[in-house]
Amino acid sequence: MEEAIKIASHPVVWIISLTVIGVVIFQGIKFIQMAMKTRESVGLSKQDVNSALKVGMINAIGPSFGIVVVAVSLITLLGDPLTLMRIGIIGSAATESMGANLAATAYGTELGSDSFTAEAFATVAWVLCIGGCGWLLFVFFFTKSLANIERKVSNKQQTTAGKLPIMMIVSSAAMLAVFGNFVAGEIFKGVETAIVALTAATTMLIVSFIANKSHQLKFLHEWSLGVSIIVGLTVSYFVL
Amino acid sequence: MAVSESNIVAKKNEVIHSYEMNMFHQKSHFWGRMTVGLVILLTISLPLYLSFVLSIHPGWQPIITGLIAYAAAIGYAWFMEPISYYPTLGISGTYQAFLTGNIANMCLPSAAAAQNAVGAEPGTKKGEIVAALAIGATSLMNMAILIFIIVSGSYLVSIIPESIQGTFIYIVPAIFGGIFAQFALKKPLYGGIALSVGLFVNLIPIPTFFKGIICIILTIIICISLEKRK
Repeated sequence: MEEAIKIASHPVVWIISLTVIGVVIFQGIKFIQMAMKTRESVGLSKQDVNSALKVGMINAIGPSFGIVVVAVSLITLLGDPLTLMRIGIIGSAATESMGANLAATAYGTELGSDSFTAEAFATVAWVLCIGGCGWLLFVFFFTKSLANIERKVSNKQQTTAGKLPIMMIVSSAAMLAVFGNFVAGEIFKGVETAIVALTAATTMLIVSFIANKSHQLKFLHEWSLGVSIIVGLTVSYFVL
Repeated sequence: MAVSESNIVAKKNEVIHSYEMNMFHQKSHFWGRMTVGLVILLTISLPLYLSFVLSIHPGWQPIITGLIAYAAAIGYAWFMEPISYYPTLGISGTYQAFLTGNIANMCLPSAAAAQNAVGAEPGTKKGEIVAALAIGATSLMNMAILIFIIVSGSYLVSIIPESIQGTFIYIVPAIFGGIFAQFALKKPLYGGIALSVGLFVNLIPIPTFFKGIICIILTIIICISLEKRK
């Protein structure tokens, strides 16, 4: 175990992890800059841009804490750099912790056990790093193809269904379907998750209703998801 | 004459605008591929370094066994997720979200909340630019929080009482419920359809990894055919 942790915090492992973080930070800044240059042509005011950035920042806080809790529990087992790189960034907390368990089992040990050697750590690194490249490779090679399909669909003669453009219906319906499926999953998972999801949904409806009441309250839209998460968690704390 | 002149100006603006949007897409592909490609190389270099420079190679058998188990469990998501999230993320959002990770629990909700706050529809150019801004800001903020906590030696987490930490497992269901309600409020009909289809696919015995894509396809088909009838 000690030997594994030593390797896990090897300077080169740190350098690779920090370089990955550097690339992700660079990408974030680059895309924000590119979007800002395009803002006028899509009819966004400077205020809208600030609002979008602010909402992005506010809404990172809740999920980040969820991610941090998983990450902290894995840091003691996998060390800082690999956890930061795979669980915090690129992957998702849930998927990567499962992957780490699968890899440790494949080596014939368990995360955190005495038999978790440096070699076991290397197995985990192989599985998480190569397995995690699946998404990136697909995105690298096929995002252009997806864009071409999208263009063909919207260039077809019939670009509207009823009064709405097809792409707008598809986007809205896809978004609702993604989260409709997730919400349904949470409802069937257990009473607790069902109550939290429903509480957050109700809170969102109330906050949005109030925010739509007057122009001065419009800023509430920026906080609505954060408030919903906090009310959901509060209910789970006191009721469940 | 004045009318036709203003027409010409409007046409000209339209051309400039679609040119700028095309430029945005081209640059997204370029910088997206550049950053994603770099991260792929860096990611692969880590296990290679462990095995062949530090020579702590665990042998190919456990690696391959582990990878097969990993692929069997979530390999479908390698292509299913980029395809299913594409209609909402768009070109720039796809490159951003898959690099920074935590898509369903962080990137998509942020993009959706920002579109709602600004009043931009998903699937429009305005919506795509708003999503690019929001996901960029989310990604930077997420990293700032993670780095801060890891540098502080997880001290911040240790001072949060365990009973409160215990509620953190409910952050994800709360995000899902909140975002769903936010969208359903704008399109109650689609929301009703999506939730019914979601409940349906979760009740019938099909593999988990098909549920998402089946739910998306069914919801889109039903919504389009309803719009056609209107």
